[in-house]
Amino acid sequence: MLLPLLLRPPRCLPQASVVLTRCVLTLRCGAPRGLRSQAKNFLWRWRPQRLHSRGRSRKTQSQEEEWRNRNKTALTYIAAAGVGMIGLAYAAVPLYRLYCQATGLGGTAVAGHDMEQVATMTPVKERVIKVTFNADTHASMQWNFRPQQTEIFVVPGETALAFYRAKNPTDKPIIGISTYNVVPFDAGQYFNKIQCFCFEEQRLNPHEEVDMPVFFYIDPEFDNDPRMARVDTITLSYTFFEAKEGQMLPLPGYSYS
Amino acid sequence: MSTAMNFGSKTFKPRPPDKGSFPLDHFGECKAFKEKFMKCLRENNYDNSMCRLQSKDYLECRMDHQLMTKEPLEKLGFKDLMDPPPSQAGKDNKS
Repeated sequence: MLLPLLLRPPRCLPQASVVLTRCVLTLRCGAPRGLRSQAKNFLWRWRPQRLHSRGRSRKTQSQEEEWRNRNKTALTYIAAAGVGMIGLAYAAVPLYRLYCQATGLGGTAVAGHDMEQVATMTPVKERVIKVTFNADTHASMQWNFRPQQTEIFVVPGETALAFYRAKNPTDKPIIGISTYNVVPFDAGQYFNKIQCFCFEEQRLNPHEEVDMPVFFYIDPEFDNDPRMARVDTITLSYTFFEAKEGQMLPLPGYSYS
Repeated sequence: MSTAMNFGSKTFKPRPPDKGSFPLDHFGECKAFKEKFMKCLRENNYDNSMCRLQSKDYLECRMDHQLMTKEPLEKLGFKDLMDPPPSQAGKDNKS
């Protein structure tokens, strides 16, 4: 009857252990000697174990604290690294722009494009370049748009004037907007337009015909660039698109009445 | 505006003009100067260097009719065509 109690040692009940020792001591008959001694040994083993565990918990407590401190410092380092990386990501934008300007990567403007240069530049008379003109319209654009000269011979450092002509053959006013392209691409960075008719809306009344000038120059640095040594022809191409006045994108759920 | 599928290679980046856009000459006020310029080009085999005087006249006409902001002609690269300032009246008083 006492066996199950012996086999399951009591955890936090000191009275039970006292009772057990007393019960064991009063057992004189029947119980084999081995069992009693076993029980005694068991109980003796149980008590000092508890004292021992209290000492060990103190040790683990300090160890746990140390672990906690280490975790905290590691976490702060990681958090600082995270914040630092976010800051770097924000700082990278202007830094990259500066780098591109300094090295001229990605086609950013390298040659000087300031207006003071126009006043002081001297033409390089030995280098004659042919500038050809091309005019295009978008398929739905009804203007007649063409250059008034197919080519013109310029030298770098000299300002030049060229004309395009546009006619609106329809009965309603049409607003056009244009963009341009310079081939070869590398020469495009030396091609500077002082004034032209691109990137702004131009309105033509019905049956109206206008002359559109382009005032440009080629940077004198063109002659010093080794990549441009074989370039003799530059093609300037304009394309006109139609810009619709008062165009509004229909939003679902709204009615424009 | 190149539409070729050349990813990664250099693309053309159009730049806005330095002085903006010319207003349209709806009434053809400077058409005569333009015709003179074109005639000069045709006669000189489309050589721009020979016709700089006519292009200067055209731009001056534009400035006179408010089709272009007034600028001193040196800024437009016509320094060599400027008349000597002090005694001569007329052309160089455009600034």
